[in-house]
Amino acid sequence: MLQKPESGALPILRAEGEKDGGRDGETQALAASQEAASPLLQETPGEHLGARREEGPAEPALAPRGARTLAAKASARRRAYRRLDRTVAELVQFLLVKDKKKSPITRSEMVKYVIGDQKDLSPEIIARAAEHLRHVFGFELKQLGRKQHTYILINKLKPLEEEEEEEDLGGGGPRLGLLIMILGLIYMKGNSARETQVWEMLRRLGVRPSKYHFLFGYPKRLIMEDFVQQRYLSYRQVPHSNPPECEFSWGPRSNLEISKMKVLGFVAKLHKKEPQHWPVQYREALADEADRARAKARAEASMRARARARARARATETAGISPW
Amino acid sequence: MISNHITAPSHMQGGTRRAGVMTDVHRRFLQLLMTHGVLEEWDVRRLQKHCYRVHDRTAAVEELEDFINNINSVLESLYIEIKKGATEDDGRPVYALVNLATTSVSKMASDFAENELDLFRKALELIIDSETGFASSTNILNLVDQLKGKKMRKKEAEQVLQKFVQNKWLIEKEGEFTLHSRAILEMEQYIRETYPDAVKICNICHSLLIQGQSCETCGIRMHLPCVAKYFQSNSEPRCPHCNDYWPHEIPEVFDPEKEREASTSKANRKSLRSRQH
Repeated sequence: MLQKPESGALPILRAEGEKDGGRDGETQALAASQEAASPLLQETPGEHLGARREEGPAEPALAPRGARTLAAKASARRRAYRRLDRTVAELVQFLLVKDKKKSPITRSEMVKYVIGDQKDLSPEIIARAAEHLRHVFGFELKQLGRKQHTYILINKLKPLEEEEEEEDLGGGGPRLGLLIMILGLIYMKGNSARETQVWEMLRRLGVRPSKYHFLFGYPKRLIMEDFVQQRYLSYRQVPHSNPPECEFSWGPRSNLEISKMKVLGFVAKLHKKEPQHWPVQYREALADEADRARAKARAEASMRARARARARARATETAGISPW
Repeated sequence: MISNHITAPSHMQGGTRRAGVMTDVHRRFLQLLMTHGVLEEWDVRRLQKHCYRVHDRTAAVEELEDFINNINSVLESLYIEIKKGATEDDGRPVYALVNLATTSVSKMASDFAENELDLFRKALELIIDSETGFASSTNILNLVDQLKGKKMRKKEAEQVLQKFVQNKWLIEKEGEFTLHSRAILEMEQYIRETYPDAVKICNICHSLLIQGQSCETCGIRMHLPCVAKYFQSNSEPRCPHCNDYWPHEIPEVFDPEKEREASTSKANRKSLRSRQH
């Protein structure tokens, strides 16, 4: 039911600058360490040995100098391939990150920030990056318009059904419980609750806004940002309030995913009473249930009508094609 | 639902290693893990089950470790991997998708402005240099004048620090900041390369150490969860290096089962206490 918002990506640890120019001392140091010292960017020992074994059989047949030149050429080729692979990998990461911000990416940006002086190989680099994105992540690199050289990533994985979306993580259990407590408070207070009331209730449970909680993380962020952004809660300033106060109400997603009756039931259980103990809220919940039932019936009816229309269309089509 | 059983074309595979099989189950898993940045193990298991439910209901859920190793073998040629770590304070296992090579692309990978990144860098340096692994808000904010890029006021810097906390790069405890496990997972290599003299290493697991306990005699350091495991059921804990008596309280080993039980009773106990005042 609950989804975490996208977390911000890695803070930049190197100064801004284009790939091939404008490197400051720090980035140079890092670049140097990448190309020379970092064991991860060099061949792993296994690969290296394997490579040497490849060269071995060829050597005895040639004069020593010829063998050395061949070996040098082979290793230069390998280095070029590795460099190409690295650039492809960088481009994949670049595209993933750019897409996260939902901004289209231009080919010139790719060249400027990633491809650099391997510009001539751009088409191959981009094609390989696209293949990785498709195969590994399930994204398609789609060009917007033939001339523009602007791209976006499209998710090729099948879209989630409504029930599937609910279970899409977020630390379900505890955070869901916290949300329901807040929804309950809001409902019992007449469909809106002052921010101070919400924090007061949570304080009594040992939850403080900015104190790290082992179940909820930072409650203030979870409630004020996550829940609001995900539309589980709505937050607004109470008009004409002085000093200005803010209030919470159910967000549109809460209205879709949970019912007043369910929340009332939860509150009732908490107080070891029956839902009918609160006649006003109970009546309201009953009315809400009736509304939902009507909406569901309408939706089902229109689905059936559409299915019938489709079947009729198909029948007339095949009738046209059939030989008799 | 027909799964996509396609192995990577041979020109995609790094070296001679055979890459694993990628299906939509794995792809969905990767997409969601990327969205969340870092996840605790129990969240990861739920995520894995969710992906199976969505894309391949009939298949048996693969053992998490194998599942992740399979994906990592495919990620290898992209210089990224799903890395497992642990929170430094109580040893909860966490997972994140990390870059194996800190490349210049990282600088694009950010939602932060130049001065904000520099603030992070300053905080990082203070944290690494500190004895406790924590840098005070005051000390960090005193460095705002030295930041690269647009001038930042202290008030603004306070909010940027909160942004780092919200995005799980820093953790705040009582006005002091330390690295989130996400930052440690993602940046360990960068930190070890950039601050080779100041960096602290755990004597037991040999990984980067930000918070931990240290021997007062010989100075070696250990992560709290490493201490817990090493001295488990040892009534006379002694330094593994100099054999001197280990003077600190030995924490408990993280037990996921106990943790879930404790969560309910802890909440009750806390509310009782607050009512008594």
